[in-house]
Amino acid sequence: MSQLYDLKIRIEEKIKSDDLDGTDVRGRIGLKSGRLLAFINPNTPDDPDGIAKLKRAAKEVLNLSL
Amino acid sequence: MNLKSIQTKALLALALCVVIGIGCIVGLMSYFTVENAKGIAIDAVTGSQKLFTILENREISKMTAVSDALIMNTQVRDAFAAKHRSRLLQLTAPLYPQLKSQGITNWMFHTPEPGMSVFLRLHNPAKFGDHLNRFIDNEVVRTHGIVAGNELARAGFAVRVIRPVYDAKGAIAGYVEFGEELGQFVHALKNQTGNEYGLLLSKKYVDRQFWADSSAMWKRRDNWNDNSGYVVADKTTTNDNILRFTGDLDTIPVQGTVLERYSEGKSQFVRGIFPIHDAAGNTVGAMFVVRDISASYLKMRRTQDILLATTVVCFVLGVVLLLNLLNRFIFRRLLHIIHAATRLVGGDFETVIKVESDDEVGQLERLFEQFRHIFVELMKQMTAMQEK
Repeated sequence: MSQLYDLKIRIEEKIKSDDLDGTDVRGRIGLKSGRLLAFINPNTPDDPDGIAKLKRAAKEVLNLSL
Repeated sequence: MNLKSIQTKALLALALCVVIGIGCIVGLMSYFTVENAKGIAIDAVTGSQKLFTILENREISKMTAVSDALIMNTQVRDAFAAKHRSRLLQLTAPLYPQLKSQGITNWMFHTPEPGMSVFLRLHNPAKFGDHLNRFIDNEVVRTHGIVAGNELARAGFAVRVIRPVYDAKGAIAGYVEFGEELGQFVHALKNQTGNEYGLLLSKKYVDRQFWADSSAMWKRRDNWNDNSGYVVADKTTTNDNILRFTGDLDTIPVQGTVLERYSEGKSQFVRGIFPIHDAAGNTVGAMFVVRDISASYLKMRRTQDILLATTVVCFVLGVVLLLNLLNRFIFRRLLHIIHAATRLVGGDFETVIKVESDDEVGQLERLFEQFRHIFVELMKQMTAMQEK
């Protein structure tokens, strides 16, 4: 399982636990990170830049430290 | 408050416009109030000066008419020609109280030149034989015609008419003179205009000792030391504070000048002054004018307050209306595009961007909706490829 997919799972868990509007949160994180969360799957290859951007977006939108 | 927002910037810009606009209105209204007050003051000065000239000319005409009637009286003429002082006094004395009641306070007969001197003073019969040697005396001797004008003598400042009297043979028997104290003009001016007046006399032309003596005689306070360059000969008010002039009477412009606007309690006043010249053209005195402009000033202030309130209300309504229009036609629609784009990226392919109008924002909405269709189509194809 890739690290990117792991990050996606943790974001989804946060959305579910906080009962947030998933579409809106995914959209905001996707726009900030430049990556569509829908296309991140277990086989998505990791890249350091993509991981860093996703972490930063999650922090800004959800205040979630990954 | 989000300072990056165009809405906030627009609000700040509009607030700044409101403040500047109201500041300009207040400034303009204050300027107009000051200018109006100045206009009223100029009107008070020029109007009073014109009225003073009219009164002066009217009194000169009156004294000329009296002298016309007098020199036609052969008994008076002959007594004067014969230099019979007691006879002349006997003939003219009964007339003096009547003339005095009409304002003619000075009445003199002068001997002819050379050595022109006072032959009889109806207002002071015991005093005679003195040489006055004034400008009008020299003029009447030079012209042998009627000479009229203001003359500031030791006895006071008066408008005078002097003319020759001829004996039965047509030779100069002497001169007769009538005069009215200018001090009484201030009361006539006040009756006509409602303004307060003060007659100032230049100390250069007034004898100090005579001023002290006349003050004692008329039982008035000796005000010689109240002002450096002039004395107040007469005034219509008991309030000496309103007569404030620190300049030199010689420097007052011919047409008069406005000195200042000032307030006393709730009342607003304007002061002005115009010069008074003697027959020789010297500035021997001045008339101080004080007009109460409280009523006009109050009206101007009320108008200013109404205009200011109206401006504030209009500005605030304008700002509210403008912000509402901006919100309705721009900001709300932009927010909807942002919202739709965010949801699209988040996986919501159903939020349609409705094109509300054909304006600039409408073009953006249309463009984004087209882009959304392409994006959705791409997403469907990529999802299908991933599933395969």
